Amino acid sequence: MDELTSVFIQEGREQLQALESGLLQLEQNPEDHDNINGIFRAAHTIKGASGVIECHFIESFMHKVENVLDRLRNAEIGVSAELTGVLLRACDHLAQLMDVLESGATEPEPFVLAAGERLIGELAAYLPTAPTGIVEAESEVEASGGGVVNTDSWHISVRFGPHMLRGGMDPLSFIRFLGSLGEIVAIETLADGMPDAAEMDPEACYLGFEIRLQTRAGKADIERVFDFCSDDCDLRILPPNSKFAEYVKLIRELPEDDMRLGEILVRCGAITEAELEAGLKLQHAPAPDASLPSLGDPPKPLGEILVENKVIQKEVIDAAVTKQTQVNEKKAVEARLIRVQADKLDQLIDLVGELVIAGASTNLLAQRSGQGELVESTSILSRLVEDIRDSALQLRMVQIGETFNRFNRVVRDVSRELGKEIDLQISGGETELDKSVVEKIGDPLMHLVRNSIDHGIEAGDLRESRGKPRRGTVVLNAFHDSGSIVIEVGDDGGGLPRDKILHKAIDKGLVPAGQNLSDQEIINLIWEPGFSTAEQVTNLSGRGVGMDVVRKNIQNLRGNCDVSSEEGKGTTFTIRLPLTLAIIDGFLVSVGKSSYVIPLDMVIECIELREGGADRDYLNLRGEVLPFVRLRDMFDIAGRRPARENVVVVQYAGQKAGIVVDQLMGEFQTVIKPLSSIFRHLRGIGGSTILGSGEVALILDVPTLIQRNIASGNQLQQARRLQLGNTSL
Amino acid sequence: MKTIFLVDDSATILLSISNILAKAGYATEKASNAEEALRKFQAGVKVDLLITDLNMPGMNGIELIKEVRKLPAYKFIPILFLTTESQQSRKVEAKAAGASGWIVKPATADDLLNTIKLVLR
Repeated sequence: MDELTSVFIQEGREQLQALESGLLQLEQNPEDHDNINGIFRAAHTIKGASGVIECHFIESFMHKVENVLDRLRNAEIGVSAELTGVLLRACDHLAQLMDVLESGATEPEPFVLAAGERLIGELAAYLPTAPTGIVEAESEVEASGGGVVNTDSWHISVRFGPHMLRGGMDPLSFIRFLGSLGEIVAIETLADGMPDAAEMDPEACYLGFEIRLQTRAGKADIERVFDFCSDDCDLRILPPNSKFAEYVKLIRELPEDDMRLGEILVRCGAITEAELEAGLKLQHAPAPDASLPSLGDPPKPLGEILVENKVIQKEVIDAAVTKQTQVNEKKAVEARLIRVQADKLDQLIDLVGELVIAGASTNLLAQRSGQGELVESTSILSRLVEDIRDSALQLRMVQIGETFNRFNRVVRDVSRELGKEIDLQISGGETELDKSVVEKIGDPLMHLVRNSIDHGIEAGDLRESRGKPRRGTVVLNAFHDSGSIVIEVGDDGGGLPRDKILHKAIDKGLVPAGQNLSDQEIINLIWEPGFSTAEQVTNLSGRGVGMDVVRKNIQNLRGNCDVSSEEGKGTTFTIRLPLTLAIIDGFLVSVGKSSYVIPLDMVIECIELREGGADRDYLNLRGEVLPFVRLRDMFDIAGRRPARENVVVVQYAGQKAGIVVDQLMGEFQTVIKPLSSIFRHLRGIGGSTILGSGEVALILDVPTLIQRNIASGNQLQQARRLQLGNTSL
Repeated sequence: MKTIFLVDDSATILLSISNILAKAGYATEKASNAEEALRKFQAGVKVDLLITDLNMPGMNGIELIKEVRKLPAYKFIPILFLTTESQQSRKVEAKAAGASGWIVKPATADDLLNTIKLVLR
């Protein structure tokens, strides 16, 4: 695909999104002219740009859409649910056409074309009935005979208007350009309009020309040359072999003295003297209109001029109308953007990563050398590297709002399909996260939102009987929390039915019957592979993609997903994602000879592990129970425990835990190197990084570690509960 | 070499026109909005022809033409605007603002170059 097409596809998709969100807004607010103008502009831009890249299937389709939007803009048609429905489907079709273009096909598949035709048919209902084609009759001309006349040339008679020069035009350019159409046989300059020197405005144009042009070009081509000054100049074009009556008419209509113009025409060979004389006689006849029919059919130029006049008048009116609407036109200052290819950014991030690693080794060497000045200058350097790192990462950050806004459409369409009334509330759209994460989060979000609409929100009647407002609400929210971005998908629907879930899980053999599970544990069963509670498989959720796939997709982004639900009140899914996938601030610790990195955002504090706590796996942190995990045990590291161990207290998703290590090494800028796929099954390790010394350190996957701790803690509590239950029996 | 100044908010159009012009041996200056273009004109950029889109967010093409015409150095330079068949009514308005002529989008390279030839001195 060439560069132009890819620029178009990107731009087209942006405009398509603007178009779609504009249409959705239109439904809420049909009187918003700014919005209608914006919608029109988006469609117009797509059409224009598709024409430029010669993608005719998009251009012709958008032309129809634009026509309808134009009528909407001019208030010739009103906003209706049917209209926005058709237009939104047109957006979908356009998206399909874009895909076709991107795939490199020259023509869409027949079924896509057929869908387009159907849409065009529907759109036609909003257009005026097409006028029957105006056939331009080309009247045959006979040779006028009588005298030697250079009859195979066009005759062009032009008087330029006074504003010509001020409009940036030069009469000479027209004449020179005419010369490129053919050969200028004769030219006469008329300066009759020139006033006295004292009255003359040096910026005005007073000239006129009589030109004979020999060319193969048609009248339209010649006329087109004068297109730019047609409203400001007096132009007559007579075809070769014109009847002399037409010249007579010309003489009569132009401002110069009859005799003089007549002479000029004779001189440049347009008419013979005899013709001129006859014409002048005719001109003095009492009723010129009555004399014309006797000379044959009415001359064509008059008709054309009339049509032209009409057009001009219409344009003046149109201009007044557009002027009015223009006053209201949006003056939104759009952010100034530079388009950069994503892989250039990736390359920059890679380089910054290498810079960070190299910086770390420089730092290490400087410290070893013990030279104070060197240490100082390298520390300044590393601070700058840190700033560069942050700025570079910032480049990849995009707001999540764009992704959220897509769901307006989804909620609208799906809720209509299901006959439910649902509002979508979006907040935190300005929250930023890494572009690659944004791209991949769309599908899981889509699944969760559809789930909320389909299974979460109850039907209107049921909601009323439960004492809730008839309209359901789906909430999309995003915010930053300790180095992660949190995305919430919530609804005020029926909540997850625990009994049903448990029942089903037992049916499917996911849990043994009779097991005592906490409410949260039951709810978490929905993440099990192959779990679906929908009794009736709808075309929305029953796509064979279970919640387990959603969770897996999110985990692939180093994130995780939780659900909380209150029966009768609603359900909220909470997705936590790392802000970036490339470089983080880490906290370096060591156990034996191995080094580990804990993401700094998750570290709350470090404490010393007092002796005596050696055999337990929890400690008392200022009155709180803090479970901890020993890395030495977990990774089975050889060697004896040192006399003094340290606990790094970490927090994730509101849960605290401790990680017991030998030594604390301090903050460390960490360039994340993903582990190769053969290590993918490893739990507790999220990646690796390279230390300044060139050694490898492993990055701890804190969420998994905490889960491990808490999970085992839960089991412990459960076991205790069971025991208590037994003893009480 | 003649320099042509292009203003359009569509990156596709800017790129395609400047490609055509470059092949035909013109130098180009580009701006993606009218405000940016006007700043360059106020700074006295050397231009033989201005080609601008009319419908742009922020300052539109007609306002740009008016502002450029107010600058003495550009009082008589040719100015073309980009338009489409559906925008006939705006031609009158743009002409009144001081435009010399227009280019109908989508234009073939020949159309474009011919029109430029017509208005360039």
